[in-house]
Amino acid sequence: MTDDSQRNFRSVYYEKVGFRGVEEKKSLEILLKDDPLDIEKLCTFSQRFPLPSMYRALVWKVLLGILPPHHDSHAKVMAYRKDQYSDVLHALMVVRFVNDATPQVEVYLRMYQLESGKLPRSPSFPLEPEDDVFLAIAKAMDEMVEDSVDCYWVTRCFVKQLNSKFRDSLPQLPKAFEQYLNLEDSRLLSHLKACSAVSKLPYDLWFKRCFAGCLPESSLQRVWDKVVSGSCKILVFVAVEILLTFKMKVMALNSAEKITKFLENIPQDSSDAIVSKAIDLWHKHCGTPVHSA
Amino acid sequence: MAQLANIGELLSMLDSPTLGVRDDVTTIFKESLNSERGPMLVNTLVDYYLETNSQPVLHILTTLQEPHDKHLLDKINEYVGKAATRLSILSLLGHVVRLQPSWKHKLSQAPLLPSLLKCLKMDTDVVVLTTGVLVLITMLPMIPQSGKQHLLDFFDIFGRLSSWCLKKPGHVTEVYLVHLHASVYALFHRLYGMYPCNFVSFLRSHYSMKENVETFEEVVKPMMEHVRIHPELVTGSKDHELDPRRWKTLETHDVVIECAKISLDPTEASYEDGYSVSHQLSACLPHRSADVTTSPYVDTQNSYGGATSTPSSTSRLMLFSPAGQLPQSLSSPSTRLLPEPLQATLWSPSMVCGMTTPPTSPGNVPPDLSHPYSKAFGTTGGKGTPLGTPATSPPPAPPCPPDDCVHGPASQATAAPTRKEERADSSRPHLQRQQYPLNDRGLEDLPPSKSVTLGNLPYFLGDLASEEDSIEKDKEEAAISKELSEITTAEADPVVPRGGFDSPFYRDSLSGSQRKTHWTASGTQGSSVNPETLHSSLDKHGPDTPKQAFTPIDPPSGSADASPAGDRDRQTSLETSILTPSPCKIPPQRGVSFGSGQPPPYDHLFEVALPKTACHFVSKKTEELLKKVKGNPEEDCAPSTSPMEVLDRLIEQGADAHSKELSKLSLPSKSVDWTHFGDEIRTLRDQLLLLHNQLLYERFKRQQHALRNRRLLRKVIRAAALEEHNAAMKDQLKLQEEDIKMWKVSLQKEQTRYSQLQEQHDTMVTQLHSQIRQLQHDREEFYNQSQELQTKLEDCRNMIAELRAELKKANYKVCHTELLLSQVSQKLSNSESVQQQMEFLNRQLLVLGEVNELYLEQLQSKHPDTTKEVEMMKTAYRKELEKNRSHLLQQNQRLEASQKRVVELESLLAKKDHLLLEQKKYLEDVKSQASGQLQAAENRYEAQKKITRVLELEILDLYGRLEKDGRLRKLEEDKAETAEAAEERLDCCSDGCSDSLIGHNEEASGHNGETRTSRPSGTRVSCGGRSTGGSSSSSSELSTPEKPPSQRFSSRWETTVGEPSSSIPTVGSLPSSKSFLGMKARELFRNKSESQCDEDGVTSSSLSETLKTELGKDSGVENKTPFNLEASHPSSPNSDSVGQLHIMDYNETHHEHS
Repeated sequence: MTDDSQRNFRSVYYEKVGFRGVEEKKSLEILLKDDPLDIEKLCTFSQRFPLPSMYRALVWKVLLGILPPHHDSHAKVMAYRKDQYSDVLHALMVVRFVNDATPQVEVYLRMYQLESGKLPRSPSFPLEPEDDVFLAIAKAMDEMVEDSVDCYWVTRCFVKQLNSKFRDSLPQLPKAFEQYLNLEDSRLLSHLKACSAVSKLPYDLWFKRCFAGCLPESSLQRVWDKVVSGSCKILVFVAVEILLTFKMKVMALNSAEKITKFLENIPQDSSDAIVSKAIDLWHKHCGTPVHSA
Repeated sequence: MAQLANIGELLSMLDSPTLGVRDDVTTIFKESLNSERGPMLVNTLVDYYLETNSQPVLHILTTLQEPHDKHLLDKINEYVGKAATRLSILSLLGHVVRLQPSWKHKLSQAPLLPSLLKCLKMDTDVVVLTTGVLVLITMLPMIPQSGKQHLLDFFDIFGRLSSWCLKKPGHVTEVYLVHLHASVYALFHRLYGMYPCNFVSFLRSHYSMKENVETFEEVVKPMMEHVRIHPELVTGSKDHELDPRRWKTLETHDVVIECAKISLDPTEASYEDGYSVSHQLSACLPHRSADVTTSPYVDTQNSYGGATSTPSSTSRLMLFSPAGQLPQSLSSPSTRLLPEPLQATLWSPSMVCGMTTPPTSPGNVPPDLSHPYSKAFGTTGGKGTPLGTPATSPPPAPPCPPDDCVHGPASQATAAPTRKEERADSSRPHLQRQQYPLNDRGLEDLPPSKSVTLGNLPYFLGDLASEEDSIEKDKEEAAISKELSEITTAEADPVVPRGGFDSPFYRDSLSGSQRKTHWTASGTQGSSVNPETLHSSLDKHGPDTPKQAFTPIDPPSGSADASPAGDRDRQTSLETSILTPSPCKIPPQRGVSFGSGQPPPYDHLFEVALPKTACHFVSKKTEELLKKVKGNPEEDCAPSTSPMEVLDRLIEQGADAHSKELSKLSLPSKSVDWTHFGDEIRTLRDQLLLLHNQLLYERFKRQQHALRNRRLLRKVIRAAALEEHNAAMKDQLKLQEEDIKMWKVSLQKEQTRYSQLQEQHDTMVTQLHSQIRQLQHDREEFYNQSQELQTKLEDCRNMIAELRAELKKANYKVCHTELLLSQVSQKLSNSESVQQQMEFLNRQLLVLGEVNELYLEQLQSKHPDTTKEVEMMKTAYRKELEKNRSHLLQQNQRLEASQKRVVELESLLAKKDHLLLEQKKYLEDVKSQASGQLQAAENRYEAQKKITRVLELEILDLYGRLEKDGRLRKLEEDKAETAEAAEERLDCCSDGCSDSLIGHNEEASGHNGETRTSRPSGTRVSCGGRSTGGSSSSSSELSTPEKPPSQRFSSRWETTVGEPSSSIPTVGSLPSSKSFLGMKARELFRNKSESQCDEDGVTSSSLSETLKTELGKDSGVENKTPFNLEASHPSSPNSDSVGQLHIMDYNETHHEHS
């Protein structure tokens, strides 16, 4: 009850008028005040509302399991993480996989490889496709998270989540994509089918890399809010929305290659709108996650 | 002034021959009259009229509207005063009055009336007098209420004029007197009709005078023969007559008819009521009445009524009413002709078809149009025309006639053309027009009729002339008749072409299309009129009438500007010019034939039109006529001849004379002799004027009749409708009567049924009454019984009450006794128990006594050695008893203490359970927290493992490379260097750690198993039995023996590996106070239960102390009470040895207990 009384009584109307995020920050703060953090609630929250950027890192870390739910152990656990990071980094330095000149992203990749036991015998070995995914994600993440330790950990756990939690659902996404595109704009889909571009759409970029490198980080992090909180379906809607937004151009293109090429390099200026619309679309089709408060 | 000049010009233009101009000017005048209110225009108009006698001006003057009436009357009044203009202004007044202007009621107030009366009293000119009287007679019905003021004047005038008739003051010609007489006669009728009482009284007073007796005998008395007794003489009074209320309800025509009613003069009277004249007539001429009743005309008219109701009804009415009029209006000559016009009308296709337009009221008809009615008789026209035509070659200014002729043709009116003659007025051109219709009629219908009339005329003339007491002789008559026949033929001929083509008159005529209706109406009227006149003329004056008809001929010829010579010329020319094969030729023959009494050749026409009736009638008529012709002389001696008839005869004579005169005149002589005839011409002109006046008067009367007719017609229609309604009502009545009968029958039935039911009901009622009586009797009996029973009941109740009181008393007693009884029984039981006790005691006493005896015996027997022993024993027992008692006391105390203790412990237990739960929860929390941390650590560990693996791989790789190189030696040195480098690197990063590690390891070995948790959190050692030594050995095993640095690493790793086990404390284990858990737990418990525990501690310690003291005293009780405590004691020392671990509260309590 106290929570409620602290909240602004106008909060109900903010959303109606279109101001989003006014009340979210406060409610998120309230959520974060709980001593053992309620992961469930955080998940719901982040699915439902965009996260304020100042709390994003913390929420992500909690949701990804980098930090335990207990506030008291945060410092300690974070110290462990830091140690681990420095140890791994040191080891890599020792084995001369990385040096000071190595780009941070690659450092992350090597560290990840090391930790997952996939470190190639030599740094000169060609990279696996999943390493590329990691690199893209890490690159995006590097933009989003300042601290390199945090960045590494978030990237690592994010990728881990993709590989473990979403391992089964990710391959289903293209199908879902077709389905929702059909619902939203069947003409576009038929056009795509006519161009036989459906199978050649940049699914890897969209669903494996989670649009890393496709969308600018400012928009991307809003998408990843949802991904981190456990919903990979948002990716489908972002893709659908991209197609809807660039419908005219896509319709104008006739060959699958051109379409794919265009979609791989979509203009960045409208990404914010795309993401907003995609989230709306997602809410529309999958329903707004209920705040279990 | 300009305007005046203008008016002058306009006035002159009024008489312009061009019709358009005249119309325009007339409209201009009318407009200016409408716009202007001043008297000037009217005055100039009157002046102009007097000057020129202009017809258009007359027309304008007669139709003046309201605001100008005063000016007109004033002007007339002014001129009446002047002798010179009197005559013409009176005629103007006559014109105006006859039209019944809307302001006629003002006449009575106007100064004109007195001046007119004065003039009539004073004037000596017969013409003026006649005209004035006629005007007065005309005015009287319009202003009946004025009689009140002027009645005596009227009577004076009558007296004066009647005496005039006889005395002939001055040198008044006989001819004028006839006119005067006729007008006096009319005045007599009017006055008698309107004011009978007053008039009679006047007559009485006036003619009772000697000097007037003669006049009365000669003049008034004959007049009185022609009136019947006025009903007012019986019912009314002098005052009543003058009462304006009497007149209010009567319109002008009503008054006229009133007057006509009382007349017995067939020419004057009205047959409206079906008596009066008819009686007389029937008396005089029985066959005539038969005619009236059974005459075919009635039938025909009735039949018309069937076809078209309105015309027929009017005509029917007309049949009687106009009879009086006609003779007066010079129409009588037409007697013979009448059948023809009638026939003509009957014949007209439109009539036959019933298509004749309904008659319009003559009242509506403008003055001009009304003329034709009065001149209905074609015969006159027939004669007049020849004379008239020459007189007015182009139509000088006949106001109305043109119209008439136009309409006649246009409407192809049924009215015979002859009737439309207008010659009476001015004896001028009007005549001509009447013939025009003929042409239109086609050759079949009218021409025959016309021809008949014309044909008959000569015959009549001949006849009449012979009868006349006048100078004419047979030869002359014959000559006249011949000439007439000639004329007629001649006249008839021209008629045809003229009418047929557009004659000048035709052109002159106004656009008269609207007036068609009038014509047709007039036609019907005329036709209906004819029979009447026919009768009258046949009856009495058959011979005279023709003459009258001729009279008009004279005046025209006389008055007409045209010279007889002109006439002659014209006639001759006409004669020569056109002799159409039309019926015109027939007349002469006809006349002959008629004269010979043969049925006229047109009989077949009658047959066609009216197969039976007409035929019958015609034959009858001819017979009558023949008779008349023969019996004329006798008729002459008829007792009275009304002045009218005299006048008629005069006119006829005049006509004859004139015709003779004309015939005598030779063309050249005419001009020469003009002056010689001046005198006569003057008289003739005057006569003509008089006649004109008379005619106008008659016309006025006829108009009134027409009005009357319409009203009566309406009444008839209404009556018919009412009759039908009555019939319908009768039918309904019959039906209803039948209904009533039926209802009566059913009523009777119902009554019988009702009586039956009544009887039944009565019997029922009597039965029920008897039943009721019986029941009432029963009821009374029962009532008595019940009363008896009630008295009994009351007795019983009283008894019961008494019994109850008794019962209460008894109960009370019983209770009392019971109480006593219980007391007694208690006492008894007490006493019994006492007795038992007593018995028991007695027995005891006995037993004790026996025992005592026994003991005494024993004592006595053992007496010596037991006493000491017994005493000893006794003391021993006593001591023992005391001991036991104290012991018991002690034990009791202990028991209480232990019980308290138990309660305390139970509360503690509950508290501890609670704590335990909290602890568990907390532990869960901590566990999750720890697991989080642990996971992180594990992660780290995993990472480390990976790192090491990588490093190892690296190392192995390096080794592999070294070995492969073959220059092992060299490489060995290199390896040593690298190892050193690695060592150094590791040293610098883990120096601090390794120092502390060593120290701890030593400690751990010393404390082995005792204080595991007392180590700093940074370096943890597993309590799971893995010794540091073992760990070091394992680490050494892990690391390659060759590398000391690696050993150090391993030791460090070892500590990290051991971490998880130490961080998982089991529930049962007691965490040390210094450990993380311990600190947490202490905090927790301190907050929640410290205070409580402290108190408990105090109480429990005191308890334990007391218990301890007791324990020392009584060992026997020890087994029971401190059971729990002692059981816990052995453990507490153990826990004491682990003293620092006092985490739990119960640890402390145990400690205290111990």
